[in-house]
Amino acid sequence: MTVSEVLAQTGGRLRSFRFGSLRTRLATLYAALFAVALIGIALVAQVVVSRNARTTVAAELVASGAVYDRLWSLREQSLRSAADVLSRDFGFRSAAASGDRSTIASALVSLRQRAGVPIAMFVDLDGGVIGGTASVARVAADVPFAMAPGRRDVVILAGSTVYRLVLSPVLAPTEIGWVVFAVPLDAAEMRNLEKLSAIPLIATMLRRADDGRWVSIDGAVPPSDALEALGGAPDGKGDRHSAPALLDLPDGDALAIARPLAGIGAKPQAALLIRYPYGLAMAPYRPLQLGIGLAGLAGLLLVMAGSRRLARNIARPIAALDRAAQQLEEGAPTVVQVSGRDEIGRLAASFNRMAAGIAEREQRIAHLAFHDPLTGLPNRVSLRETLDQVSARVRRTGGQAAVLSLDLDRFHAVNDTLGHPAGDALLRRIATLLPELAPDAFIARLSADEFALVLEGGAADRPRALGQAILDHFAVPMMVEAHAVPIGVSMGIAIAPSDGNDADTLLKNADLALADAKRDGGGVMRFFEPALDEAARRRRMLELDLREAVAKGQFTLAFQPIFDLKAQRIGGFEALLRWHHPDRGWLSPVDFIPVAEETGLIVPIGEWVMREACRTATRWPEHVRIAVNVSALQFRSPGFQTVVLQALAISGLEPRRLEVEITESVFLDGEGPVVALLHRLRAMGVRVALDDFGTGYSSLSYLRSFPFDKIKIDRSFVTPVARDASAAAIVRAIIDLSAALRTDTTAEGVEDDEQLAVLTEQGCGSIQGYLFSRPVDAASTLELLATPLVRAAA
Amino acid sequence: MICRLLGATLACSLATAAAAAPVAITVRGADGAPLSGAVVTVTAPGVAAPVPRGTYAVEQRDIQFQPHVLIVPVGATVAFPNRDKVRHHVYSFSRPKKFDLKLYGREDSRTVTFDQPGVVALGCNIHDTMSGFVVVTATPFAIQSDGAGYARFADVPAGRVTVQVWHPSIRAPGNTLSQTAQIGASGLSTTLTVRH
Repeated sequence: MTVSEVLAQTGGRLRSFRFGSLRTRLATLYAALFAVALIGIALVAQVVVSRNARTTVAAELVASGAVYDRLWSLREQSLRSAADVLSRDFGFRSAAASGDRSTIASALVSLRQRAGVPIAMFVDLDGGVIGGTASVARVAADVPFAMAPGRRDVVILAGSTVYRLVLSPVLAPTEIGWVVFAVPLDAAEMRNLEKLSAIPLIATMLRRADDGRWVSIDGAVPPSDALEALGGAPDGKGDRHSAPALLDLPDGDALAIARPLAGIGAKPQAALLIRYPYGLAMAPYRPLQLGIGLAGLAGLLLVMAGSRRLARNIARPIAALDRAAQQLEEGAPTVVQVSGRDEIGRLAASFNRMAAGIAEREQRIAHLAFHDPLTGLPNRVSLRETLDQVSARVRRTGGQAAVLSLDLDRFHAVNDTLGHPAGDALLRRIATLLPELAPDAFIARLSADEFALVLEGGAADRPRALGQAILDHFAVPMMVEAHAVPIGVSMGIAIAPSDGNDADTLLKNADLALADAKRDGGGVMRFFEPALDEAARRRRMLELDLREAVAKGQFTLAFQPIFDLKAQRIGGFEALLRWHHPDRGWLSPVDFIPVAEETGLIVPIGEWVMREACRTATRWPEHVRIAVNVSALQFRSPGFQTVVLQALAISGLEPRRLEVEITESVFLDGEGPVVALLHRLRAMGVRVALDDFGTGYSSLSYLRSFPFDKIKIDRSFVTPVARDASAAAIVRAIIDLSAALRTDTTAEGVEDDEQLAVLTEQGCGSIQGYLFSRPVDAASTLELLATPLVRAAA
Repeated sequence: MICRLLGATLACSLATAAAAAPVAITVRGADGAPLSGAVVTVTAPGVAAPVPRGTYAVEQRDIQFQPHVLIVPVGATVAFPNRDKVRHHVYSFSRPKKFDLKLYGREDSRTVTFDQPGVVALGCNIHDTMSGFVVVTATPFAIQSDGAGYARFADVPAGRVTVQVWHPSIRAPGNTLSQTAQIGASGLSTTLTVRH
């Protein structure tokens, strides 16, 4: 395994080891880093110390080797001097020359004692030995003769004991023998040698074993190859001053040098081994190593304490931030104490700003959730909540509450004519106005132009009084961007607990009452009645049935002829929608058209009517037109022009034979776009008739803004035209006005001849009504057209 | 002593009876170098011992024996005059003649009579370095080898003889190399190699 793999694995283990706290992690990291650095220092120190020790030891050993050589020769000199004293003694020489054995022996004893030499011998020229032990004497007898002339010192092996022999010739004056000192190189001698050294060396005597290998005489150094190399080659050749070598000994490594000791022959029989155990060499460095270790330990403890302290200082504010973040998460308002200007201080400050920002946004979101951004009034959600609480209180404590549902009658006109900014300004005006009018009410804005007020307690008549006050106030046109705009409000009121005792019911009933007020033309208020609820239920049923009718094609068209008084023939038919309800039979458009308009179903229904009418008209003679009623909602729907185009294209009907009948209500939401569309229809060749003229506002400005092809006089004027002079005057005025505008007129609802006579006399263009024919089905139109002068009365 | 005299007479008569021949001996060391100063003696049977004639002396001059080696016939008396300013104490532990001339001064002369053949090593008990030899011979054929290690005897009786070479450096008992040789009518010329 490579180092990098080990590191990678260790790193992986470290990564997988998760620390619960930043503090522990920092402390551990720093301690580990310091420990690594420390180990590095200790290793380097150990290597340096060890190397230094070895170098020192080697140098000292070499120096000691030289010292030992000197000691060795000094010892030789001292022994020689002692031997010389005897060998040169005249009396001794005389005794030796004369072979006086007893004298020689006594002299040797005396010398031994005086010189402190263990063994002293005299060897004569014949090899006879006096003195000494038997084993030494045997070897010593030959030594003087074997030695080179002049050599005085030799190391021999007697048995397993190594002796140093120092010779001193006895001259008379020629050599007649030798005084020989034998010093056993034993342990004691080695200790004596060691004592003379300045450094703690250990001296050991090596001798050659029978197999030629070096062995130590005291067994302290086992035989080894290193020892052989140190002692030199067996033949005695090699460097006497060999370099120090390492010996692996039982009591530890030691650096050693060997000094082969010259024997009789060329091959040394003994060697002096001087060794310097590393243990001793390293001893002076122990305090240093201990010092490094202790300093490292102290440093480690300091780093751990310091890093824990530092980590605590870092971790404490982070922990505080952590707690604060949790509190923030739980929605509690929180502020962290900021201390210091470092990164953590800045983080805490940022955190506080963030927390404040979050709190502010939460408040704003909460406000938005319960308030209307435009006016700042509570919204529908808020209203429902309030109403829940109010109705609960009413249930619990008795008493009374009221919900007033308000809708502006002509807000769309303001938006369309003056633009949305003006509409928004108006809504804000109303939002400030309502609290002034109803300081005791909870006021909410529900949708664009819809508001609601909740009244709790108060006098029983308070809802009506407030409603009337509001109606009165809005009856006066409001000033919007320097325009006096007749806004008007409609209002529905539901009273708790009689009209419901929960928010949903109360709101629904107030809305029903409001719808009732709207049906009554707006500008009024209506209290909820149970009948309204029933009507609403029926309308919902009707809506469902209508959807089914559209899907299943339950509609048919009826056609009422329009009789051209000038040409005295049928000039056209007005298409009338008929619905055969599967359960309720034929239903009048009056019953279901409002529902269709409310639900938007009028658009697909109107589209079908347009196509069916055009298709039917193609079967008629060319001069016969088809008139189709278009409701305001349908007219304003985006695809209306396309619907007309497609109906004409599919049927192949000439555009001039199609007459679109609209009422004034199409102008309610703004005049401009409507007029533009009318012009586009006109450009296609389609005729446009203004229906129900005389009812509603009957603003003459409409007539001016678009040149209608025909004006249809409402039946409310036609019915009394024969017996009511004022009605007749109005009809005449309309007909005259139309004539002046070159616009055709059709009188609706003509039922008798008197009416016909007046209308004919006044110059009305065409008539429509039971007098001539009731509406008929498509097939009957052809019969009707085929019958000449089909005047019912005629 | 009688026997010895008898032997000498016999040898003398034999010598006269036989023809004499020259003997040339070269002494060399083991390394082949000539050994000078070696005392070469040839002992032939029947040759009479020489008679001491005149005086013999070994001076002590400059802390040395002068001459270093002195060959004298048996019975010769050798004087030891001191020519140095210091005193000397000449002695001999040699078996042929042991003597001990106690301290004596300048121009003081002592005499010793050497009545036994053999090599007498001289020493001075005061000056260890002083060494000298008196070679006491019973044969007339005794001479020191010259610088070339060469020793020549003019007329040695033919026959079986003993040739001895002595030198203090010869490593042999008595520092003497001894061997017999047959001397023919034409004499003998040989080289002796010694270990020293």
